[in-house]
Amino acid sequence: MNQPVRPDDFDAVIHERVRLAIVAALAATPEMGFTELKAALAVTDGNLSAHARALEEAGYIAVRKTFRERKPHTALRLTRSGREAFVRYLDALRRIVEQGAGPGPTTR
Amino acid sequence: MEREEALARIAEIQRVMERATRYTLLPGGAAVAGGGLVLIGCAVSYGMLQSLDFAEMLRLSVAQQVAFCLLWLAIGVAGIAIEFVVTTRAARREGLSTGGRSTRAALVSLSPSVLVAMLLTYKFLVPLEPRTEEVQYIVPLWMMLYGVGVFSLGQFSIRPPRLLGLVFIVAGALALLHFQEYGVVTAALSFGLLHILFGLYVIAMRRRGAP
Repeated sequence: MNQPVRPDDFDAVIHERVRLAIVAALAATPEMGFTELKAALAVTDGNLSAHARALEEAGYIAVRKTFRERKPHTALRLTRSGREAFVRYLDALRRIVEQGAGPGPTTR
Repeated sequence: MEREEALARIAEIQRVMERATRYTLLPGGAAVAGGGLVLIGCAVSYGMLQSLDFAEMLRLSVAQQVAFCLLWLAIGVAGIAIEFVVTTRAARREGLSTGGRSTRAALVSLSPSVLVAMLLTYKFLVPLEPRTEEVQYIVPLWMMLYGVGVFSLGQFSIRPPRLLGLVFIVAGALALLHFQEYGVVTAALSFGLLHILFGLYVIAMRRRGAP
């Protein structure tokens, strides 16, 4: 039987729409370049940078900066704790759909 | 959170994940160049065979047959090389990874059908006395198997490659059933003209700002 959804089940870090989209995109791929991710999510450089930094500070994504043909290249990937948080978030959504309604997220 | 909002979030997550896994490095310029090479190959083939039927190669001397096979091998290798160079350059320009999932998707999708096509071509050509009908199968089989590979690749990508794959499969089936003896024409129309039209469409789509 499904457990009721608790406020803690909603992680405030990935509840924000752009951050959730970043995590979802990275959950579907091993790694994505900054430009590739920006195009996939249709967001601006600044928006993506700010939200990616928040996710990195939470330990949910890892950012790797290298140079390719003397041009900077930034690659992002989901960490293990990021994937676990995403799975927990999806599970909470699934339980809300099955149970009808649930609480909002708690803030960190 | 209400049930409707949860459903909307799940739908948004699905959309993002699908968009993130699309293979969008469609090399329009490479398709045009590859198609052009095939048209040149078809013109040279017609010159060598003096016929629209690829099976006429069986009437050539052994040296000419080898030259004929090398011609098409060179066109195939050049086509792959052009696609690799153009795709790599486009990926670098757009900041995408070339050795990652995009390349894997292309290899996984196209390799099985191309390997089968190569094996069948070998089987049809190598016997001491190849049969006319089997040599005539080669172009339709390449069309259909290439179509299957491109259609599979289209599953990781946007709609146009899936349509291109379907057109190749249907055209290959028609060529196999009705136009076997016109291999030079069917190869020119499919691997040549169709690739050029597809490449021009992709270039136009990119210029309009489509993904």
